[in-house]
Amino acid sequence: MKAYRVSRWATVLGLLLVLALLVGACAQPTPQVVTKEVEKVVKETVVVTQVVEKVVTKEVEKVVTKEVVVTPTPKPEEKKLEIFHWWTAGGEREAADAMFKVFKEKYPDVEIVENPVAGGGGVSHRVVLQARLSAGLPPDTWQTLGGAELKSYVDGGYLEPLDDLYAELKYKDVIPQPLYNAVTIEGHPYSVPLNMHIQNILYYNKKLFDELGLTPPTTYDELMSVVKAIKEAKPDMAPLGLGTKEKWEAAFLFDSILLEEGGPEYYVKLYKGEIDVKNDPTYKKALEKLQALLPYVYPYHSNLTWDESCGLLVSGDSAMVIMGTWAIGYFKSRGWTPGEDFGAVTFPQKPERILLFHPDTYGKAKNAPHPQTVMLWLKTVASPELQIPTDVIQGGLFARLDIDPKEFPDPIRQELQTYVRDNPQKLILDQHGSIAPFSFTQAYWDAVAAFIADPNVDSTLSTVSDLFQIYDVKKEAAWYKWP
Amino acid sequence: MNHLERWQRKWRRLTWGDVISTIIFLLPLLIFLVILYGMLAWTFYVSMADWRGTAPNYTFVGLKWYKLMFSLDRFWVDVRNNLKWMILGVLPTTFVALLLAYLLEIASLPGTESYIRTLILYPVAMSFVVTGTIWSWMYQPDKGVFNTILRALGLDFLTGRFTTDPATATYWLILIFVWQYLGFAVIILQSSFRTAELQEMIEAATVDGAGRLRILFSVIVPNIRGGMLILISLLLISALKVFDIVYVVTFGGPGYSTDVLAFFMFIATFQQHLVALGAGLGVIIFLLAFVVVIPYTIYAFRKWFE
Repeated sequence: MKAYRVSRWATVLGLLLVLALLVGACAQPTPQVVTKEVEKVVKETVVVTQVVEKVVTKEVEKVVTKEVVVTPTPKPEEKKLEIFHWWTAGGEREAADAMFKVFKEKYPDVEIVENPVAGGGGVSHRVVLQARLSAGLPPDTWQTLGGAELKSYVDGGYLEPLDDLYAELKYKDVIPQPLYNAVTIEGHPYSVPLNMHIQNILYYNKKLFDELGLTPPTTYDELMSVVKAIKEAKPDMAPLGLGTKEKWEAAFLFDSILLEEGGPEYYVKLYKGEIDVKNDPTYKKALEKLQALLPYVYPYHSNLTWDESCGLLVSGDSAMVIMGTWAIGYFKSRGWTPGEDFGAVTFPQKPERILLFHPDTYGKAKNAPHPQTVMLWLKTVASPELQIPTDVIQGGLFARLDIDPKEFPDPIRQELQTYVRDNPQKLILDQHGSIAPFSFTQAYWDAVAAFIADPNVDSTLSTVSDLFQIYDVKKEAAWYKWP
Repeated sequence: MNHLERWQRKWRRLTWGDVISTIIFLLPLLIFLVILYGMLAWTFYVSMADWRGTAPNYTFVGLKWYKLMFSLDRFWVDVRNNLKWMILGVLPTTFVALLLAYLLEIASLPGTESYIRTLILYPVAMSFVVTGTIWSWMYQPDKGVFNTILRALGLDFLTGRFTTDPATATYWLILIFVWQYLGFAVIILQSSFRTAELQEMIEAATVDGAGRLRILFSVIVPNIRGGMLILISLLLISALKVFDIVYVVTFGGPGYSTDVLAFFMFIATFQQHLVALGAGLGVIIFLLAFVVVIPYTIYAFRKWFE
């Protein structure tokens, strides 16, 4: 007889298989009642289907089942906070550290688990976060901009409304109404803002302006005469610096012109999709004005990121740049003193001085692993104790209006914060916060950047008009209320 | 003894242990196939679902997102750019690599060949993120190395806008690709030169008095079809799925003039949150890659049955 060369582990495997089959196929020979006690440490809500009775006769097999619902045994929550943010660059990292230091001082026994993802504006951050959220493994809280980004998380059902927290802290009363609207979707606030960044600021080389006897421009016409004067005095210079590598910078520049040309109501209506761009004289006029400005703009803008475009001022290649409040931190890191080496004005200030803004905010994840700790975190985020050190370092304005503007070391933000405190209604959501949905905004940035690289008014008008239709902006942006 | 008999003998001798060990060894492959093709099928389905925004939505909407995709100007710019990549990124690389590989074979001064080969191969060892950053510094029109050198030599008329000119930016990106893949191509071609058969043929041709270029194009090229096909297929696929160079050097700009399908896929999925559109672009890339590997597959099968 042939010997089968079956190794030992194969035998064991085979035996197990046979055993499993036997157990599965086993039938009860006589009618009998099976009872069994289940003892199990319950960690989550589960539905246990237990065979209580099994009666077997020759023809009929009847299985009686009974559902037992077991609720979890309450267990003390772990003192832990898992948080996602994108503050990793120079200046921002320090701000994040300041933020966590304040929280640690208040609640020393809570362990903070950070998952910082590098990348300005959270490009890579969103990739990682999206994966975690779709997999049903949310962190406790994560950084999100107000406006369209926040809305995308709310639409996905990933955030819990924070009405109770807002009522408890009376937070609505201490922040500007437009800021409250930017974190409120269908009547419920969903996240706690800790700052406001302002988009439409024009930075200028103060020493050069003094040397040439120029005053910083606050309207398009003034800007045109200033760039011409600079070009005449310094032919090697590109008067207005710009970097459009990440595309949104292009929309910043264009927004400034658009805001002056159309005014605030027009600006809001446009991004709510209520303007027929193709046949709109205002939009066309703004594009033409931008085109007229381009000969005075840094020509190799598509190579530069926003910080590199601010660097053009420091290196003397440009005299001005339009950038958000976060540029103050960049200039300081290059050794420039605010008010001495560089100045800043809101641009434009006609027909009125409007500030385009977006906030950084934190919300509470639905099914957050540590729901109680998150609430502690959100309360801290809303507090002046956290906002003062964090915002001073990071570069934005305070979300709370009851903080003294003098807390800022630089005159630029002192003045801005005072203006916001006295005129909170002058705030409108900007390109980053975005009134229009994400799908539109990204494509829109590309269209404006393409126009700046290769201007063609008519084709841009029809491209932008199509984008409004394709991405259904009118419906998607209906949530935004201004003033 | 023919194949069949041999198989039958083997089959009869098969033991339980053999069967089980075969299953054990096949299992990882099966899991791999299930994951790979499962994911492919899933992506294909998502491209026909109505998933926009952060939360999954598997409602079937047919070709809705494909229709949108085909209506976008950006998509056609991408297709054109990908074609440019596949033609200009592959043919010059192959041709220059062929000449270089042959040069290294015939004109090697003793001891220098390995140094030169290392030198040529070195760029392959670096990541595109690194080389892309270095190249984007060199391309910088006002302060970059290229224009600075040209200006210093008084050749101002040769200075260019490189990647900041929407009309030509893609070509400068492709140049980085060619530079980086050249060494890889040289190695593959060189190894396919070194078969005993081919060496004999070259010797015979030399004895018959054929010139060096004649040998290259009449003897070597027709006899390294396998190596060429592998090389071209690999290069085509790399060119088709190119992402990192674009991401690092231009981020698709100026505007979206250097955009490619893979980059748009990233933007659509993670920036625009149009996951279905991103999946659709993935499917398009897959189909193109499929077309690209067909010639190689046919060749491989022929070889198999020879």
